[in-house]
Amino acid sequence: MDYLQLAYDVVAQARLAGVEAEAFIGVSHTTHIQVARGQVEKLSDAGIKGLGVRVLKGGQMGYAYTSDFSSESLANTVADALALAAVATPDAHRMLPEPQDIPAVELEIYDPAIVAKPLAEKIVFAQELEAAALAADQRVALTDRTSYGDGAVQIYLVNSKGFAGNYEKSFAHCYLRAVAKDQAERAWAHGGHGSTVATDLDAARIGTEVGQIAARLLGGRALPTQEASVVFSPVAAADFLSVLARALTAEAMHRNRSFLQGKMGQAIASDRVTLLDNGRLRRGLASQPFDDEGVPTSATRLINEGVLQAVLYDTYTAHKDSTHCTGNARRPFHYRPPWVASSNFYLQPGSQTPAALIAEVRRGLYVVDAVSSGSSNPTTGDYSVAARGFWIEDGQLAYPVNEVTLALPLETLLQNITAVGQDLEFRGRSIGSPTVRVDGVVIGGQG
Amino acid sequence: MFPSERVQRVLSTALQNGGELAELYLENSQNVTLTLDDGRLETATQGNDSGGGVRIFYGDTAVYAYTDDLSEASLIEAARAAASAARGTNASPIRLNLTRSTSTIDFPIRRPFVEMSLADKASLLHQMDAAARAYSSYIAQVAASYHQVRRQVWVYNSEGLWTEDERHMLEFRTHVTAQRGSVRQTMGGGLGGQSGLELLDYQSPVEMAQETATSAVVMLDARPAPAGEMMVVINNGRGGVLFHEACGHCLEADYINRGTSPFADFLGQKIGPDFLTAFDDSTLPGRRGSYRFDDEGTPSQQTVLIEQGVLREFMWDLTEARRKGRTSTGNGRRQSFRHMPMPRMTNTYIAAGLHEPEEIIRSVKKGLYAKRLGGGQVQIGRGDYVFAVAEGYLIENGQLTAPVRGATLVGNGLETLRQMDMIGADVALDPGEGMCGKGQLARVSVGQPTVRVPRLTVGGTDQEWAAG
Repeated sequence: MDYLQLAYDVVAQARLAGVEAEAFIGVSHTTHIQVARGQVEKLSDAGIKGLGVRVLKGGQMGYAYTSDFSSESLANTVADALALAAVATPDAHRMLPEPQDIPAVELEIYDPAIVAKPLAEKIVFAQELEAAALAADQRVALTDRTSYGDGAVQIYLVNSKGFAGNYEKSFAHCYLRAVAKDQAERAWAHGGHGSTVATDLDAARIGTEVGQIAARLLGGRALPTQEASVVFSPVAAADFLSVLARALTAEAMHRNRSFLQGKMGQAIASDRVTLLDNGRLRRGLASQPFDDEGVPTSATRLINEGVLQAVLYDTYTAHKDSTHCTGNARRPFHYRPPWVASSNFYLQPGSQTPAALIAEVRRGLYVVDAVSSGSSNPTTGDYSVAARGFWIEDGQLAYPVNEVTLALPLETLLQNITAVGQDLEFRGRSIGSPTVRVDGVVIGGQG
Repeated sequence: MFPSERVQRVLSTALQNGGELAELYLENSQNVTLTLDDGRLETATQGNDSGGGVRIFYGDTAVYAYTDDLSEASLIEAARAAASAARGTNASPIRLNLTRSTSTIDFPIRRPFVEMSLADKASLLHQMDAAARAYSSYIAQVAASYHQVRRQVWVYNSEGLWTEDERHMLEFRTHVTAQRGSVRQTMGGGLGGQSGLELLDYQSPVEMAQETATSAVVMLDARPAPAGEMMVVINNGRGGVLFHEACGHCLEADYINRGTSPFADFLGQKIGPDFLTAFDDSTLPGRRGSYRFDDEGTPSQQTVLIEQGVLREFMWDLTEARRKGRTSTGNGRRQSFRHMPMPRMTNTYIAAGLHEPEEIIRSVKKGLYAKRLGGGQVQIGRGDYVFAVAEGYLIENGQLTAPVRGATLVGNGLETLRQMDMIGADVALDPGEGMCGKGQLARVSVGQPTVRVPRLTVGGTDQEWAAG
């Protein structure tokens, strides 16, 4: 089926009602395999598709979607979108973008090797992932949710202003949890990876690392409540970056939902901090040639050496601020209209190795992973997580630490960043970070 | 919905390479979502989501293939895709004798969604916005949303099972930002249930929006939460997220079978005080986690998880139950046809105890009162959980005093149950906004009476208060 033509047809049909219109079609094929004890436990395979149509009339927006591409269903979907637009509040800033040239840069987001990979090889990958974790240490007793998944998606986008584009993207990801046991207790660790390119995933490396961390976390001790330096692993740092990502959209700024509102041009972080959003990052999980409204994606330097200098825009928010759109309109699939959000969002790496960065800490905590409780909030800038890791004494990892809490305002956290490592990593997410050291963090423990 | 010859052809194709059981799952969901933000009805979305999946069991393996095209040809193709990965010994042709199961319970819908126009639904959101803003000039932003779903589910399997279910869900949510000078607070609220528009006869989204605004404004005066270990009292109703996170997930059979749950070895043993009893109940009328049949065709039921402190039962789906040669407890749920079922909670709650809630608060010399809990998570390996206190107060000499912001509660499930030393008489379920994420989203209810836990780690920034 010619999906681009189908998108044109739907837009043409909506135009008959005298509206601006956009059709978005996603077609995907995915495979997911979960193994346990060397056996395939769950395997799923699917091809799905969907179309979303957005109409705009006098600043009123309506959106309807369907996975049924029969002409009757498409006509109903267009009619639904028109009826829905009628209840929306008119907003002069709501519009579809004019077509722009898409830079011809190879993003390396489609790897035919992923699509061609035989099922048997995918199963072997998941089995090797589990085997590596179990072999990493005698005390690793079992793994859980050990999985490999991959797929490809084709996106087609047409709007009534004359934009038409399509691209193809592939992805592969894996995940596992390892549980280690000794006579006294159990400890666990988890991890994974994701990429647009098949060769980036290394089952032996990821499985071994997760297994080793689970075993090393055995015998975790409690900590007394205190203030100390905290070194965030790349995975743990990605957790606070994800809160920051939500505070750095133009929408959050416009709607009193960002603790950074009104701080443009100010030093909101230590001068070690340079924060980027790059929708064109080579092999980036969130890279795509144009955003989900058809605007070319771009790289935006949000924080430069501690100074807040930009936020993320989609077409709507950019028009509201009479500024250039950064190409950050995103949607997960056809069933939601786009909104402004980060793409590949990451701290620019520094020059120190993680080991050198830890070596400078006399007493502190190395955080393996941080779990947000829901107290972390882009509007208020509150940040509070449960964390696990290792106690640092005289620059060495001394012993494992069980669940403690870390709490401090995000603004303080950013100001207190004293070192940024060279080890930028995206662990299966579009938010990446190197190892980061923060001073003066309250660690909530016992008593 | 589907002629039985077609079901027979799909399931026969599924079993062509062997396998012990084949299942056909069909679904149709109709959604309407209206979103108001910044004073404007911004997004109005409507859509249809339909599809089907074929699952084959052989040994301990389940293979699944799905499609969003409900034509027979497409379902046969999915059955072939699943069969190509399946291995088994029982490759004989099947003869189906489908018998439709009837449910002993019903969830009548008195006022279908179509009885109210889109414009009137939008007007409700404008009223929510106005009510929240009218409460105080400190209200700096309001978002409100309306969501309706009608989800129909059909399940057939090669043992002749045939079930049908239809679930109507209505949801209102709001998110309020209060601001005074440079101080900001946010508060979320919601209500809903398995209901048609009759929900509006006894629950008011406008009042809910105003209550949410009230809490947001109260929290403007909040001081930083204390850090350290202290006595914690958790409010009834949505405070039940405590049990959901602390214990509920660890009682799901996939974690039990795999040995990752710390509760796995305690069946039949005392794990809590005599006055602790807890249920998972998918039969409750009007609740988000209720259904006639689960997403594998097993009838809903009330399951006693903990009875007078003794661990009685886990929550099972078909996959995990087959591994143990037992029956499912009707906890097999899936987000949609795009997902394989897994054991999930439905409506999970702690039953009433004996104490008056005021008595519990009076009993605390120094501690934290968690009035409104935000989201939470559990790490299955050790059973350590964490959740946010959206609205919390200090308890000093038996009285609620200052509101506190940014508190996180961290604890261990088994340890929390062992410790729980007072349970109130005021059992209640949440207002109907619970969403549980376990790789897949599922609507759930949580509930409990007021409870007291003598020692929990509170993650805040104030190191002095607990020590002082």
